[in-house]
Amino acid sequence: MSMRQEQLPDLTDDMFQPADIDSSKNEEIAGESTGFWKDAWRRLRKNLGAIIGIVIIVVLSLLAIFGPMMNEYSYHEQDLMRAKLPAKVPGLENVGFLGLNGVDIRGVDQYEAKGVDEYFWFGTDEFGRDQWTRVWQGTRISLFIALAAAFIDFVIGVAYGGISAFYGGRVDNILQRIIEVLVGIPNLILIILFILIFEPGILSIILALAVTGWIGMARIVRGQVLKLKNQEFVLASRTLGASDGRVIGRHLIPNVLGQIIITTMFTIPNAIFFEAFLSFIGLGIRPPEASLGSIINNGFSSLQIYPHLVLYPSIVISLLMIAFNLVGDGLRDAFDPKLRK
Amino acid sequence: MVSVMANEKLLEIKNLKQHFKVGKSVVKAVDGLTFDIYKGETFGLVGESGCGKSTTGRTIIRLYDATDGEVIFDGENVHGKKNAKELKKFNRKMQMIFQDPYASLNPRMTVADIIAEGIDIHGLAKNKEERMARVHELLETVGLNKEHANRYPHEFSGGQRQRIGIARALAVDPEFIIADEPISALDVSIQAQVVNLMKKLQREKGLTYLFIAHDLSMVKYISDRIGVMYQGEIVELADSDELYADPLHPYTQSLLSAIPLPDPEYERSRTRKLYDSEDYAPKSGEKRVLREVKKGHWVACTEEEYEQFMATV
Ligand SMILES: Nc1ncnc2c1ncn2[C@@H]1O[C@H](COP(=O)(O)OP(=O)(O)OP(=O)(O)O)[C@@H](O)[C@H]1O
Ligand SMILES: [Mg+2]
Repeated sequence: MSMRQEQLPDLTDDMFQPADIDSSKNEEIAGESTGFWKDAWRRLRKNLGAIIGIVIIVVLSLLAIFGPMMNEYSYHEQDLMRAKLPAKVPGLENVGFLGLNGVDIRGVDQYEAKGVDEYFWFGTDEFGRDQWTRVWQGTRISLFIALAAAFIDFVIGVAYGGISAFYGGRVDNILQRIIEVLVGIPNLILIILFILIFEPGILSIILALAVTGWIGMARIVRGQVLKLKNQEFVLASRTLGASDGRVIGRHLIPNVLGQIIITTMFTIPNAIFFEAFLSFIGLGIRPPEASLGSIINNGFSSLQIYPHLVLYPSIVISLLMIAFNLVGDGLRDAFDPKLRK
Repeated sequence: MVSVMANEKLLEIKNLKQHFKVGKSVVKAVDGLTFDIYKGETFGLVGESGCGKSTTGRTIIRLYDATDGEVIFDGENVHGKKNAKELKKFNRKMQMIFQDPYASLNPRMTVADIIAEGIDIHGLAKNKEERMARVHELLETVGLNKEHANRYPHEFSGGQRQRIGIARALAVDPEFIIADEPISALDVSIQAQVVNLMKKLQREKGLTYLFIAHDLSMVKYISDRIGVMYQGEIVELADSDELYADPLHPYTQSLLSAIPLPDPEYERSRTRKLYDSEDYAPKSGEKRVLREVKKGHWVACTEEEYEQFMATV
């Protein structure tokens, strides 16, 4: 302290100048105004995991749409002469460690042995169907089921939870008892029931997901709306004479939307996994249709001899699940930074 | 402080009751309130936390349906059956300022949209320009500036938010404003600012206030008359000077004894009086009722206590 003082030059009054006090500047706020969505987007952009997730989802979605068209084979075209070929990719076949040179695990070049000149990028299955086409065809179906499940979740879950909380009292009581009954029904029983009534396939899976899938969403929305509807800004709106529609549209939905989006993002990987699981145990998609789960199931029996049949679809499904979870996490952090530990 | 005793009644509250069912039991949050509020005055309502002040305010403004009793505003029963048009008319006359500046503004709306909500609902502006002009005018009225219109609530301090809440209430030109502890969440240095703004607005627009608070110190400064509330009932009601000079109910005395003053002489001798409703309960089991012991000074008392009060006065 005293050291400091000695070093200072002499300070005289004329070195100072009074600052102007402008009382109108009192309340001024510097900096750019940031709304909730803008702010969330800024945080999301900074989240590397979420960006990687988004890129993976975009790439895999594009492949699911265009992948099957990228070669001349169709997903159901069989040819036993070219069955169970390992992967062989032009260009990459010379890079030894990738194993994309058509040589199987016993060291035999199957393409040469069977006299096949074409290239099968992911190899072929036991009927000689092109794995590349089948994997992306399967991804298409998996994604379709996931999006359908998310949509149903969104529509039924939000409406159900919202109505339950908004009207409260008797309505809430009855709706919640119904949920408790639904939760008690195991999903597998439901899907078997639907398979008995309808064909096994996409419709049955989506229906099974639709019956109980939205419950998580309904509970989250109900909790949020219950919390929000007695907040003072909603009461203020009511004292101004706002209609129910206005309260819901202007006050409740904008404040729950973040939570809804996050929940939806976590529904998608769950649905993908549920479909894969059903197909894997044989209750899902029927051949010649393919889903990631059924492709893995087909290849699973010969895993030790033909690992490529399981490897590629497994990588795709893992990437999908990880990517959606990364984006979901990223969105949660972006919408509610307080939640981050 | 102006005496407004002779003025006409704006609001008459008669035996107002609000009981909440909680599980199997019933919470009697408000249990038989009767008081009047005169045009142009500030009526202070004080009492400890949980005594039913907010519930009273919210029931008066119809956020809750009253269990029993009447609220008569300008000669009309507020809680009677009303059609949508009458309700809207009522919504413009009576407004509320809330306790928590952080919960009372929608975080997803801009300040302009928050303030203009009443304008939008009641169609008070013909076009966008008029709406914005009105918002700017209201912002200026409460001491904020135009540039604030496009910002979001989280960019403001507690005091600024409370003023935004006041601007929102003013947007529909109300006659009567219920202020539910508008300053208790604010820093002491900001409290006076908000109270002074409210007083200024009252002078300029001839507003009538129901000012709710949990301690007497600030209420005395703003109120013309004060009602002291305890467990859902009013125990004493008088002009604020009178209440300070001559508190009769032991609960009022205990509230007053809790106020510190910047006077060392007084502080040295100040003793905190405690109030225990069990001890004070009448031995005979008789219920205390509000009786007028002096002109305009009402106290909840038994017949016997009433005689005593009258003898000493
Ligand atoms: N919606 C409700 N349902 C059930 N009980 C309620 C409800 N609202 C209030 N209460 C109860 O009514 C009583 C009075 O509550 P109120 O909020 O009116 O108190 P207050 O005087 O405003 O307190 P504070 O000073 O803390 O704001 C409390 O016991 C509270 O628990
Ligand atoms: Mg309160």
